[in-house]
Amino acid sequence: MSVGKPAGSDLARAIDYALIRPGATYADVRRICLEVRHYGFGGIVFLPVHCERAAGYVAGLDIRLVAAVGFPNGAFTTDGKVFEARDAIAHGATAIEYVVGVGALLSGNRDLVAREMAAMRAATDGRVLRATLEASVLPDEEARFVCQLAAEAGVDFVVTSTGFTDAETTDEDVRRLSGAAGPGVGICATGGIRTLEVARGLLGAGARLLRTSAAVAIAEELAGERGGEDA
Amino acid sequence: MKRDEMARLIKTGILGLEVTEDDVRRDIAKASGYPFSAYAVDLSYLELAKELLDGTGMLLTAAVSYPLGGMTLETKLDQIRFALQVRAEEINATLNLGAIKSGDYETLRYESRAMVAVADGAIDVIVIPQFEILTTAEKVRTCETLLDAGVRAIKTDGHGGVCQPEDILLVRRVFGREISIEASGGIRTTRHALDLLDAGADFIHTSTAYPVLADIPG
Repeated sequence: MSVGKPAGSDLARAIDYALIRPGATYADVRRICLEVRHYGFGGIVFLPVHCERAAGYVAGLDIRLVAAVGFPNGAFTTDGKVFEARDAIAHGATAIEYVVGVGALLSGNRDLVAREMAAMRAATDGRVLRATLEASVLPDEEARFVCQLAAEAGVDFVVTSTGFTDAETTDEDVRRLSGAAGPGVGICATGGIRTLEVARGLLGAGARLLRTSAAVAIAEELAGERGGEDA
Repeated sequence: MKRDEMARLIKTGILGLEVTEDDVRRDIAKASGYPFSAYAVDLSYLELAKELLDGTGMLLTAAVSYPLGGMTLETKLDQIRFALQVRAEEINATLNLGAIKSGDYETLRYESRAMVAVADGAIDVIVIPQFEILTTAEKVRTCETLLDAGVRAIKTDGHGGVCQPEDILLVRRVFGREISIEASGGIRTTRHALDLLDAGADFIHTSTAYPVLADIPG
């Protein structure tokens, strides 16, 4: 890895590099933190068990350290998610992304999802909070409900997918959710973002952030494009 | 083997993002017609399942840090305390797979001991080492560490993966009967289940228990 490259473009700043697969090693965590610094990505998403280690690598830098809470099924109790979020913050996370109760929504239990969102907002006071749904399995009205709830609760972002399904978030998904959430809530797109073209499309459709495990490939594509311009 | 004998060796359950309350009710009602050994749910449905399983003879299994194993030890212990409070009979806790893949068996030992201590004999601690992503050496070293920490049962996989008879044979060959082995991962046919039991598995874990029973005479 070379040093001294200029820090990230706006596009890189809008990318959160995610490593949330099981079995990521300490070396993987270190490598990803260094890559985030190198490419100028805005943030990084880890499972909570890796947050303390990652915090050491990004301390003092303007890099979001997001803990993935309630992943990937969101099928935990509200108290459990609140505990996990607080604990992740204690381990160095600067932002929390949690999976809403998709099963609860599909059970018609909107109250639970609303109460849980309020509890998560209270537990993460002063931090960026993101609520993750799974746009591919939720009926449109339930996805919209989560977006409206997020606006009312003061949640900062709605994330389009857990990334653990095969779902690829489309520009249309982003427009739809963004419209439901309104201007106060950002949309973080995730799921199937592997190329610069897709990344630009989603940002163009109104996504404020992208979460992807293919961040480096996208940044390299961008660098190649710029190199071409310079030549 | 008769169908009921096979069912007693099966642990089933329903887990996942899209599972609804109705799914849990329906599935437990159906499972109640068989002498399955245990039934696993995500923590959000633990209290409901406790109620529904009453009188069925099936043990209640709580999925802890499931299925990724990426929660901190503190969060895992919090979830075990919740399972104790609901009076679940056993937990399926996914291990700190990052520690295993990093060769950090000290952390694995420490965490396993802590889980056993919190369980305090009131709930069976069954852990998931996710064999699918481990090398042979890692499988052996993990089981060795678990035994040292007081864990006496593993469930082979939690997240994807297809359970291989070779893995069961490996653990049996190295550790004899010291550790209970619950085979899990992609078990959907009678043949696969019988192969795993022949290899020495103590239980079969499957969310698709009925196809597994299909080819066994009642």
